[in-house]
Amino acid sequence: MLRIAVAKGRLLDSFFELLGKAGYDCDSAAQASRKLVIDVEAADLRFILAKPADVPTYVEYGAADLGVVGKDILVESDKHVAELLDLKYGLCRLVVAVTKDSGITKVQELDFNSRVTSKYPRIAEEFFNSLGIQVEIIALNGSIELGPMVGLSEAIVDITETGRTLAENGLVVIETIMESTARLVANRISLKTQREAIAALAGALEGVV
Amino acid sequence: MNLRTPRGVKDFLPPEAEWKLELERKIRSVFHSWGYQEVISPTFEFNGLFTQDSGEERQTYRFFDQNGDLLILRPDLTTPIARIVATRLKDEVKPLRLSYIANVFRYDEVQVGFQREFYQAGVELLGSSSAAADAEAAALAVTIFNDVGVGGFKLDLGHTGYIQGILAECQSPNTRQKIWQLLLKKDLVGLRNLVITSDLPDSIKGLLLKLPHFRGRENLLEQAYASAPNQLAREAVANLRQIYQFLNAYGLGPQIEIDLSIVKSLGYYTGMVLEGYVPQVGFTLCSGGRYDQLGQRFDSHLPAVGFALGLERLMLVLELQGLRPEAEPNGVFVLPHSWPHALDYAARKREEGIRVEVDTEGRTEAEAVSYARLRRFSRVVAVDAAAARHVPLAEKEDQSC
Repeated sequence: MLRIAVAKGRLLDSFFELLGKAGYDCDSAAQASRKLVIDVEAADLRFILAKPADVPTYVEYGAADLGVVGKDILVESDKHVAELLDLKYGLCRLVVAVTKDSGITKVQELDFNSRVTSKYPRIAEEFFNSLGIQVEIIALNGSIELGPMVGLSEAIVDITETGRTLAENGLVVIETIMESTARLVANRISLKTQREAIAALAGALEGVV
Repeated sequence: MNLRTPRGVKDFLPPEAEWKLELERKIRSVFHSWGYQEVISPTFEFNGLFTQDSGEERQTYRFFDQNGDLLILRPDLTTPIARIVATRLKDEVKPLRLSYIANVFRYDEVQVGFQREFYQAGVELLGSSSAAADAEAAALAVTIFNDVGVGGFKLDLGHTGYIQGILAECQSPNTRQKIWQLLLKKDLVGLRNLVITSDLPDSIKGLLLKLPHFRGRENLLEQAYASAPNQLAREAVANLRQIYQFLNAYGLGPQIEIDLSIVKSLGYYTGMVLEGYVPQVGFTLCSGGRYDQLGQRFDSHLPAVGFALGLERLMLVLELQGLRPEAEPNGVFVLPHSWPHALDYAARKREEGIRVEVDTEGRTEAEAVSYARLRRFSRVVAVDAAAARHVPLAEKEDQSC
């Protein structure tokens, strides 16, 4: 039985939909979404429902053979997992945004006094470093837009799909760091020990993304 | 006073320490029986010894001594052994078979079974470039895991020559470097994006996309040989086939698989590479391969092959497989009603190799019994001038003393 760590929420439904198209009927799991571990005997799959940021950890340690996680979270986590497939849903952008009022239009205008709040401190640090811009990164766990609104930071690094939430909070995007979609990742040893099952699943998914 | 320990180190309390030492004894005896001699190298060396030509910066513990020299806590044993062989054992008859069991230090994020200080057991076979030597290192790795009782151990063999052969078809050193990094990270999405948009010949594109799935049993070698783009890649497959045949002769064929997607850090391994694992455990248990060029920095041109296993990972896997030995009650707790006679009795038992503790606290027999149970002794013996008298410890018990 393949064990797949998945993040709860909207993206999970897209994944079940994709699995259905690929011939793995997991409707029973889609109904039982309050449980933490869901077995779908017919498809020989076990779903482990985790927090998005924890999915790479379950996979790295081999508690799950596979995981489904956004590329943004995958890069931020920096875990030793194999990235098998771009599932091409859940498209969003990781951006740098500032308040409209700040008048800032380019990241280069941020200086060493600038503070940047983010749920992605590693990516943010790497991004500003690569441009030779020294800013102070402040890690937050949610509602990143709050930072500039209450004077905690001058800029944020966060994901956005449409930019609407940012705009509603008076923020404008000045740079896109990366685009992100959902990825199928695998434990490196499971790739060896569960070779056939993983190849079959990845192959079927590849055919329908 | 701060009584915590720094992140990345841990204590082995008596039960774990005893178990670890027992495993080390077993491993040592296998090394010994295969003709490997143990070396003990210093815990710290000059930093320059470990400088990587590839420019990859390893996370290590470094510090200055009072002369201003930069020193390093050894992050591995392979490099110090290469130094020893290039200098003090330079004139020894080759090949040399050396082994070690030692702690190493890496300032990495703590991973499963890899604290910042952890223990490695390994061997280096120096001065031979034969396939038989590669096979011996691989066979010894399998034997160790089998002998300590790990169930379902598998060893995957790959070859850097195969990947280098494929990359030799790629003109741009920049692209070569990127492809290597993507293979190392197992970022197959990134690999596909890079390969598809590159100007590589279609056959090489196809091969690079197939490479991460190139694993299987001996028959995979035929497929790999047929797909090999040049002599370098073909020689790698031929070399692996020879090694595989030796491993069949060892009777270990069923535990060996071929995995041509194994990619290790650039510029270190030069031939066969190996990786050991068991099903249901998500991390490698041992790793190694052929490294013919490491000695060049010390003007030593000895070809070499070796492997190392992580002791903590081995302990973890044994625990996960339910193979951690249960400490059986054993030994004698002695109540010295007459000290000279008790010490004489204790000395005789100790000579037999039996664990003996003599009471130093003036315990009564009842106190001695409850203490002996806690300390997992199998017997309590009261010794006076006349006799060594057995004190009942439990209902069912061993009456011999």
